[in-house]
Amino acid sequence: MPVPSRLDEYIETEKQRHFSRDFVVGWEEYETWDEATVGQSGAGQRTFKISEEDILDYNRACGETDPLMVDPAYARKHSPTGELLQHPVFVTTIAFYSLGETGIGTWIRTPGARNPQQRIEIVEPFCYGEIVTTTATTTDKFTQRGKPYLQMLLEFRNERGVLKARWWCSLILPQTRADVARFANA
Amino acid sequence: MSMTFKTIEAGYTFPPVVQSYAQAAIDHYALASLDMNPVHTNEEWASRAKVFGIPETVGHGMMTMSTLASVVTRAWGVIGKDRGSLRFVDAKFTKPVKVGEVVTATGKVKRKHYHGPGKSWVQIAVEAKDSAGDLIGLAEVGYNLPD
Repeated sequence: MPVPSRLDEYIETEKQRHFSRDFVVGWEEYETWDEATVGQSGAGQRTFKISEEDILDYNRACGETDPLMVDPAYARKHSPTGELLQHPVFVTTIAFYSLGETGIGTWIRTPGARNPQQRIEIVEPFCYGEIVTTTATTTDKFTQRGKPYLQMLLEFRNERGVLKARWWCSLILPQTRADVARFANA
Repeated sequence: MSMTFKTIEAGYTFPPVVQSYAQAAIDHYALASLDMNPVHTNEEWASRAKVFGIPETVGHGMMTMSTLASVVTRAWGVIGKDRGSLRFVDAKFTKPVKVGEVVTATGKVKRKHYHGPGKSWVQIAVEAKDSAGDLIGLAEVGYNLPD
């Protein structure tokens, strides 16, 4: 099931060009609710090098118009960091890119997933050029009112090990791989 | 306007943020966030899968979270002129946002947390409603303010 071609017109960044955009391809490799183990921890599949274009496109997609967030030349002169300020939910991009298609936390790509709640903490802003490693720790899984919830803590650290942000990520998921298959093959 | 912990009062109201969830806006968000789940971008798949019981694409929960956070950051800045800064966003999603919706988010300072010089912050309650007036998400936002 190909991704609609109209989406190509929104490609603005190098990461978007190379990212595996079809979440229905390779679903067999995603971690599932019934296979996830609470306490298990590991780094995402790839690191994320912070670039101006990543931040700029996220800010624009959120509808931001503040020049400190969408005008790189203005931000270089006037921003307290000398760089574009990033929207606080920008870690979403880092997480989806970093967790990739196989291994821990890949359940965030699951077709059929529903989003009940999220918590993001910002420790300090990301800086251009930082190489961010995302570490995922499965923190809880439970069933509530018949819905299977899976939760993980994502920690985002730069190449010097400095903690930049945390995301407590929760989704309601298809419970088994067979349940995922029903959505993937819909 | 200078915004400090001393001068801000509980009940302070933020200007609303209005955000389109037209398919084009959802598509752009999908690329920018790299959350390319077909429930957001593939109308044919969404009509068959009916993930939320409806045969349509829906906006991302993280897009709603971004709209909720923007209520605070558009008014006070991600990093404010007085070096205030957003410290957390804690969001819950109560109703899927159907494609084509226009969401309006509003916020109000709920509580002040004094933790000593340079460490105080305020708790802001934000909520978002769709064009029918139904609640689609709500959040607590924590924001550090200078003394």
